[in-house]
Amino acid sequence: MTTYTVYKEQLPGLFAKWSREHALYVPARLREGFYDLVPWRPGLEIAWEFDVAYNSPKRFLMPPHEPLITFNRKTCEAAPVFEAPRQILFGVHPYDVKAVNQLDQIMEAGAPDQNYMRRREATVVMAYEPLTVSSTAFWSSVGAANVAHGYDLYWTKIGPASFTVEVGSVRGEELLGMDGPLLPSTPGDKEGARRAKARILAKAHRLSLRYNWEETPRLLAKSWDSPIWRRYSQMCLACGSCNIVCPTCYCFDIREEADDQLEQGVRYREWDGCMLESFAKVAGNHNFRPKAQDRYRHRYFRKGKYIYDKIGELGCVGCGRCVRACTAGIANPLKVFNELWEEAAHEY
Amino acid sequence: MNTKPFSPYVPRPVTLVEKTKLSDFVTRFTFEQDNGRPLAHKPGQFVNLSVYGVGEAPFSISSPPRRTHNSFEIAVRKIGVVTSALHELEPGAKVGLRGPYGTSFPVMKFVGKDILIIAGGLGYIPLRSLLFYQLRHREEFNRMVLMVGTREPKERIFVDEIAELAKSADVEVLETVDVPDSTWNGNVGVITTLLPKAELDPGNTYVAMVGPPIMYRFVIAECRKKGIASDQIFVSLERKMKCGLGKCGHCQINELSTCIDGPVFCYTDIEAYQEAI
Repeated sequence: MTTYTVYKEQLPGLFAKWSREHALYVPARLREGFYDLVPWRPGLEIAWEFDVAYNSPKRFLMPPHEPLITFNRKTCEAAPVFEAPRQILFGVHPYDVKAVNQLDQIMEAGAPDQNYMRRREATVVMAYEPLTVSSTAFWSSVGAANVAHGYDLYWTKIGPASFTVEVGSVRGEELLGMDGPLLPSTPGDKEGARRAKARILAKAHRLSLRYNWEETPRLLAKSWDSPIWRRYSQMCLACGSCNIVCPTCYCFDIREEADDQLEQGVRYREWDGCMLESFAKVAGNHNFRPKAQDRYRHRYFRKGKYIYDKIGELGCVGCGRCVRACTAGIANPLKVFNELWEEAAHEY
Repeated sequence: MNTKPFSPYVPRPVTLVEKTKLSDFVTRFTFEQDNGRPLAHKPGQFVNLSVYGVGEAPFSISSPPRRTHNSFEIAVRKIGVVTSALHELEPGAKVGLRGPYGTSFPVMKFVGKDILIIAGGLGYIPLRSLLFYQLRHREEFNRMVLMVGTREPKERIFVDEIAELAKSADVEVLETVDVPDSTWNGNVGVITTLLPKAELDPGNTYVAMVGPPIMYRFVIAECRKKGIASDQIFVSLERKMKCGLGKCGHCQINELSTCIDGPVFCYTDIEAYQEAI
C-alpha cells in the first residue's frame, strides 16, 4: 500500500483546492468536549485531538430528511430524486469507517438503494487515526479499531506537524496529489504511524468487553429472557436518541407532502428509530413491540446478533455515542453485553 | 439507450377500474396496470400502493395470478389514512404501485396433496389468491378444505363467493363466527373450533393460514395436535412493510425482514423466532 508523508503546512493549500469541487468537512471543536465534522473554511482550527464526532457520519450518506421521489397528484407520475453532492469527509475515525462499510453492505444488498449508493459514490472518506479515546468508547474491544477498506485516504498524525497518508483508492491519491508532487513515507515515518496506532490502542483498552466480541451473538441467543431487558428499559423514555446518534442505525420512515396547489409533491425518507413507541405499529393499532422492554431488547439484538448473522460483524462499533446521548443512562452496549456475560458465565 | 435513472422507490401508475363494497368497512378494488402488462405476482405476495399526497401502504393481492390480463385486486379495510383515501377514489382514478414483493405460498409443494386453507377475518383476502389459483388447476390437487372464521356475521366478506364455493364439489367449506346475531344459523365459536370438525389425513395435508396475530398460536397448536408437521404449515404474517426492500427496518421479526423473507413463511423456519407468532 502506498503511503505518503504530508506536512501540516500543506493542508491549507490542499483543503482550498479540494473545497472548490467538494463540500469539505473537517473535525472542529464546538464547545468543551463536543466535536463534530463541520464545513471547512480558511483559518478554521482543526481539532486533531477530537475523541468522537458527536454526530455520526451516516448523516452525510443518509441525511435525516432525504427526498426519494417527486410526484404529480393529477397525472400520478413519479420520478426519482437523487441528491449526491460531492463531499469529502476528512477525519473519520476507523470505527466510523467500519460503520460506513456496514451501511454500504446493507444498502447495496438485495435491491440496491440508489439514493444511498449515489451519495456514497460521491463521498470521499478520509480516515483519521484517533489521538484521544472518548470516555464512553470501547471500539477496540468490538473489532472496530482497524479497517481494511472503505476509505480513500487514511491519515495518521505522526508528529506535531506531520502525517502519514495511506492510499486507499485512486481517487484519494489524485486528491492528495492536487497541490504538487507527493513525498513517499520513509520507513521511519511508517514506523511512526505504527507507534501512533499502538499508543491509541493502549488508551482504548481502558474500557473493554470482558470476552471476545465474536461470542456476542451466541451470548444474546441465550439471553432473550434475561431480566436485564426489563431492568434497564424501565427507565427508557422512548426518545430514540440512541438511534439518532448511532452510526449503524439506518431505519427510516417514508412520508410525503404536497405543495400548496395540491398538485406536485415530494416523498421523502426520515430517520426513524426502533426505540420509538410506534415503530412496529400496524393499521388497527396493533403494536408488535408494545413494551419498552421489547424495543430495548430488539435494539441490542440488532447490534449484537441480527447484523452479525447478516454480515459477520457486530452492529455496534463501540463509538459510545449512545452512552453519552441517553438521558436515562440506560443505553450502554458495553455494560449490557458485559452484564449478560456475567449472567451467563456459569454456562461457559 | 434507456438512460432513465432507476430507483426502487418509484411507483408505476395503475388505474382503478372497479370498486365493490364487501362489508361496512371493507371494499374490493380492481386495478389495471397502465403499462398493460399482467402484475405477474404469486399467491401470497403484496404490493405497496400510493395515494399520492397521502402516503403509501402495503396490501396483499387478493386475485389469483393472471397470465394475460393487466388487472389485479386488493381488498381493503378502511382503518387508516391511506385506506381511507383509497375508499374516496372512484373508477378512473390513478394510484402508484410498487411490487409485487415478498414470498408466496409454495404451490408446487401442494401438488397432489390435501390442502387446508384457514382464513381468520381479513385473512381470506390474501388466501383468496391461492384458493382461486388452485381452483384454476383443481386437478393438480387432492382434497381442498376452506375454513373461514369471522368475529361477527356483519363483518363477513366475500359472502356470496364463499356461498358459491360451499355449493361446489371442489372445496369443502366450513365457516364460523365468534359472536352470532339473529341472522346467523351456522357454527359459533373461534376458528379453532372448526378443526375438530374436519377429518384430515395429517401426513398428506398442507395448511395455509392467514389471520389476526392472536389467531396463529392457537390454530397452529390445533394443527399440530391433529398430527400435521410444522413443515406442512404455511403462514402469512403482517408487519409494517414500509420500504418493501428489506431496508427500513419496520417489518422485522427478530432478524427477518417480513417484506423480503416473508410475508409467507413455513412454520418450521420461524418456530424458533420469539417475535414471529
